[in-house]
Amino acid sequence: MNWFRWILAILIIGWIGQFPMAMVLPNLIMERLYQQAGQSLGYNKLAVRPRPDETFRTVVRPSPDLYYALCFYDLEQGSVNINAEIPERYWSMQFYQMNTANFAGLTNQRDEEYRVGSEIDVTLIGPDSDPAAYKGDVIQSPTERGLMLLRVSGIGDDTQAKAALENSSCQLKV
Amino acid sequence: MNQTPPKGIAILKILRWPLALIASLLISAILLSSFIKQGLGNTPVRNGQWTTAMSIGSTDSSSRLRALVAIAGLLASTREDSMYYTVKEIDGVPLSLNCSYKIKGSEYDANWWSITAYGWDYYLIPNEEKRYSYNNENLIKNEDGSWEIIVSANKEGTNWLPVGASGSDAADKDLSQDFDLLLRLYTPGDAYLNSPDTAPLPQITEEKCV
Repeated sequence: MNWFRWILAILIIGWIGQFPMAMVLPNLIMERLYQQAGQSLGYNKLAVRPRPDETFRTVVRPSPDLYYALCFYDLEQGSVNINAEIPERYWSMQFYQMNTANFAGLTNQRDEEYRVGSEIDVTLIGPDSDPAAYKGDVIQSPTERGLMLLRVSGIGDDTQAKAALENSSCQLKV
Repeated sequence: MNQTPPKGIAILKILRWPLALIASLLISAILLSSFIKQGLGNTPVRNGQWTTAMSIGSTDSSSRLRALVAIAGLLASTREDSMYYTVKEIDGVPLSLNCSYKIKGSEYDANWWSITAYGWDYYLIPNEEKRYSYNNENLIKNEDGSWEIIVSANKEGTNWLPVGASGSDAADKDLSQDFDLLLRLYTPGDAYLNSPDTAPLPQITEEKCV
């Protein structure tokens, strides 16, 4: 009877344990990406990537119909300024925290279509900063570190899409 | 009179806590791994052969869905930006390189959309054509706007989406399907946001197997 209780407890704890394990796993994967890709592409710096093909193995499920630019940010030394040129076709700027959640995003779609043809200046601040102390578009990251991802549609004539990414930047605010 | 228990039992009594901990962790890992291997097939939103989840990428997603996305779709956007539908099996039979599949569709209520084939390793599949996907602009369509894509290892049809061996070492394969298909709808319309299980989607059928 004693052994039965032990086995039952192990099964129950094992079943429950998958949930905290699931909470840890995305952090480990993001940390690995942050360290490995961040070291080769740089931090607080925009890295424009070539159109994905079979050799693109930085992140799973790359879309061959998009152009990507990444900025691994570290807000410990201060806020980061992201400047981006917004093309006519689909464009989005998404922010990911270290547990991989997409905590904020901007686009040129729906009620943000007015951004097409303009430039945007986003100030990315850390969790302890006061958003009221900054002007313009301000995004507050829940974690000091994370990733900003620019996606631009590469279908059809991609000249404008490529130029938009080449003319964008991500850097520590001075 | 006190009896000394057998040595094996005594050792087991001493080690029972660390052994129970290891066994529990092992069970947790097996359960989580099994959930992840099933992909979006775990999720309640099924539309024909396609499956999706409404909280992909979101801060509201459950811990297990977030783990699944971290493994099989890292850096996914939230549904307002793009919706993701996957197919990894047809009527319960995993997609196989030995079979060809026909995808039939028309236009969909989204800013644009694409269908991409991924290997079991979740990366684009190496192929001589350098063809990894079709989107609403590069498909050759019929006069009424309808279209067909043939997904197969050997060239077939006008819109051929080649599949083949994934780029990773075959010895690492631990999924039942050889590849899967991902439909991305960018800036999806209300039908997808509100009724993802009934909104119009392409139809996939198995054509033939060798």
